[in-house]
Amino acid sequence: MRKSILFVLAVALVLLAGFGAAAQDEKVLVIGHTEQTDFYDPANGFTGTTSMVRRATYDTLVTFPDEDASEILPSLATSWSVSDDGLSYNFTLDDTPRFNNGDSVTAEDVAFSLLRLKYVNGNPSFLADNIDSAVANEDGTVTVNLSSVRPTFVTELANTAFSITNADVVRANGGTDGMDAAETDGAADYLNQNSAGTGPYQLESWAPQDETVLVRNPHYVGDAPYFDRILIVNIPEAATQKAALESGQIDIATDLTPDQIVELEGNMDINIWSGPGQWNHFLIMNADPEIGGPVSDPKVWLAVRLAIDYEGFLELWPGSTTPGTVMNIFLAGAFQADRALSRDLDRSRALLAEAGYPDGFDIDLKYPDWNAFGVDMNINAQKIQADLAEAGIRVNLAPGEFGVALEEYRLGNAGFGYWLWGPDINDPVDVLAFVPGGKVATERLRFTEERAPAEILELRDAVKQESDPMRRAELFEQIQLWLQESGNFAPFLYPPTQTALRSGISGYNWHPQWVMDVALISRDEM
Amino acid sequence: MPLQVFFLRRLLLTIPLLVGITLFSFIIANAVPSDPVSANIPQNAFDNEEIIAAFRAKWGLDKPPHEQYLTYLGNLLRGDLGVSIKTSKPVLEDIRQFLPATVELAGFAILIGMALGIGTGIVSAVWRNSIADYLTRGYVVIGVSFPIFVLALIGLNVLHVQWGIVAGPGRLDFIIRDPPAVTGLFMVDAAIAGQWDKFANAFSHIILPAFVLGSFVAGIIARITRSSMLEVLGMDYIRTARSHGLRERRVVIRHALSNAMIPIVTVIGLSTANLMTGAVLIESIFAWPGIGRYAFRAATSQDFPAIMGVSILIASIYVMVNFLVDILYYFLDPRIRVA
Repeated sequence: MRKSILFVLAVALVLLAGFGAAAQDEKVLVIGHTEQTDFYDPANGFTGTTSMVRRATYDTLVTFPDEDASEILPSLATSWSVSDDGLSYNFTLDDTPRFNNGDSVTAEDVAFSLLRLKYVNGNPSFLADNIDSAVANEDGTVTVNLSSVRPTFVTELANTAFSITNADVVRANGGTDGMDAAETDGAADYLNQNSAGTGPYQLESWAPQDETVLVRNPHYVGDAPYFDRILIVNIPEAATQKAALESGQIDIATDLTPDQIVELEGNMDINIWSGPGQWNHFLIMNADPEIGGPVSDPKVWLAVRLAIDYEGFLELWPGSTTPGTVMNIFLAGAFQADRALSRDLDRSRALLAEAGYPDGFDIDLKYPDWNAFGVDMNINAQKIQADLAEAGIRVNLAPGEFGVALEEYRLGNAGFGYWLWGPDINDPVDVLAFVPGGKVATERLRFTEERAPAEILELRDAVKQESDPMRRAELFEQIQLWLQESGNFAPFLYPPTQTALRSGISGYNWHPQWVMDVALISRDEM
Repeated sequence: MPLQVFFLRRLLLTIPLLVGITLFSFIIANAVPSDPVSANIPQNAFDNEEIIAAFRAKWGLDKPPHEQYLTYLGNLLRGDLGVSIKTSKPVLEDIRQFLPATVELAGFAILIGMALGIGTGIVSAVWRNSIADYLTRGYVVIGVSFPIFVLALIGLNVLHVQWGIVAGPGRLDFIIRDPPAVTGLFMVDAAIAGQWDKFANAFSHIILPAFVLGSFVAGIIARITRSSMLEVLGMDYIRTARSHGLRERRVVIRHALSNAMIPIVTVIGLSTANLMTGAVLIESIFAWPGIGRYAFRAATSQDFPAIMGVSILIASIYVMVNFLVDILYYFLDPRIRVA
């Protein structure tokens, strides 16, 4: 009797578990993802999830290839020109795209979107700092005037923060591109729940920290995407993403750890997409002797770099690579693994002795107690501790809560630490954050211009003004050589991006600017 | 003491408690040595004074702490909990979005916990030192000490992924649309709409997380039930009841259990409040969009309005549950009515 009750219960549970899984006509893609959305409003949002959704729902004036950020391609702008003084850009617009309400894209929409981004003072507004004015010309072109020369301006326009919105719709919902937009713009709420763009999809709803739903843009003029609906489901736990993928509840899991990826490798129902990642892991050394102590000495900087067991990190994180410098490896001209430093303990010890530390020294390593996109920073910190001990540097691990550690780092009060970086601008100029005068080198690590040799300052100033690609490449080569020899960073690991997909899902490609383009993804028909 | 006076006195005591909670949360949230700016603004915008100033002005962080607190209290009196920095929505709206998921899960879990806990506790006490008692005591030790997230992951991987007998993460299969919102409790809403396939799907999703949460609670309830029942079963009036020839079932349920209920009700009350507010791990593992996960995210991103809103909510839940427990005492124990 009891056995039969148990049997009935088991059958009932199996039936219940199968409810709702019945085939449906709609083609739905379910993405399991750790949501980081701040806003979907182009002028206010600046996270990975935001970029992914904006790529699907909006277009920008220019764009990158589907696979990478190797070149600039036309998008809403069919062509552009720059004035001789480098301060004025003129864009000719494509007249075929339609917003999701059917409206055409006008020069007024473009000018409005750029100025709203600048004046709303949202998270990505720093990208538009340099815009002095944006003018809709009578001939339908747009002129953007800059306050200073910025060779990377067009590259930056491919950032989805520069998405072109329908000015009439945004204005009707409280938006403004006025100089007082920071106080008076009220369109963020609307744009967090709706989109007003020309992309293949439109935003149907966003339940923060739960689910984002995209549906087809009925007025999209390009090739229709395969899926009718895209669900981006917030699954913060990697183990849960893995379980949901294995059972077929989701089609794509974006945040699995390297260990979980290895576990899935024999599973016939799942494919692994693997490619270059976005995050460069490095040690930071404060140039202020009062804060950095022994690690404020340039000789120690190189000694630390030469003490790291780079090969060991590659074994620890399969699929990773060793970064050549702090310049992210997918940026044009970045040193790859073949130009990375190698471990040289003898030279490291000799440098420490030259710096006055023949017996090494004791130091705290400060870092966030954080799992950085599948890489546990504690594990790396322990290996750094072991590696540096061989050179005589006795590291005391001092992990901190993320917000607390970030605040100390941000204020420039961390002496010796471990952080990571993903570029905001997909241009080699991003590396200038790590040279004296740059955001990280100077503001976080007090490597001020006064402390820096003239040589690197000249290189930095030259590359900021240079627009000739060959000359730029030469300058970035010299900057990277200087960073390897004299910078106050020790990059040691560049983990890959690995995404797990249900078999049959094709067209997926991780992208450094917009994570993935959901409009390119399809499911093989049975 | 008349019920109305008892009720009123309890209600009045909650007001200073809630104000104290807001002050305490505010001080703790401000004492953390990190800044909401670092938690919410991209690194490249850190040196843009205009963006930082706009952020501080927007969230009132440019005002002195006491002014921030008084403004908050003033708004609170008007029922305004502020706007969450992370979701950009009113905190009250966020709570309305996330709380029903937690209520549904915790409600189911406490039902499972009560059924398992009280049942095994009675069996264990009535047949003391029997195999059933030893099994129950073993279960209690395992239930209370076994890490809940391990149980959850084992359940997810074995019962969902390997055997496929229960549904996986989420409140429904992700491709299924939510039932029309009435209460926010999916099973109730699906039943109201007559969408029985969604009702069944929601049930198949809740059963595993509720069982994991409930099994932990069941351990505690079983332990208290057993000890309380053992104490009562040794009382003279139980012996008297038996000597009057009453059937054992009547003796145990009517005379022993009803008198052993006070500590059991206390534990059930506290467990309910705990489940409503502390299911962060289970909500994370089962991708359950509840208030625990919301609170965790608020705390890690220094989302002051959300932290304060959740603190008030948690305090209110504890107050309400304690209040209900007190009312139950009033009915269960005549001595309280006299005191």
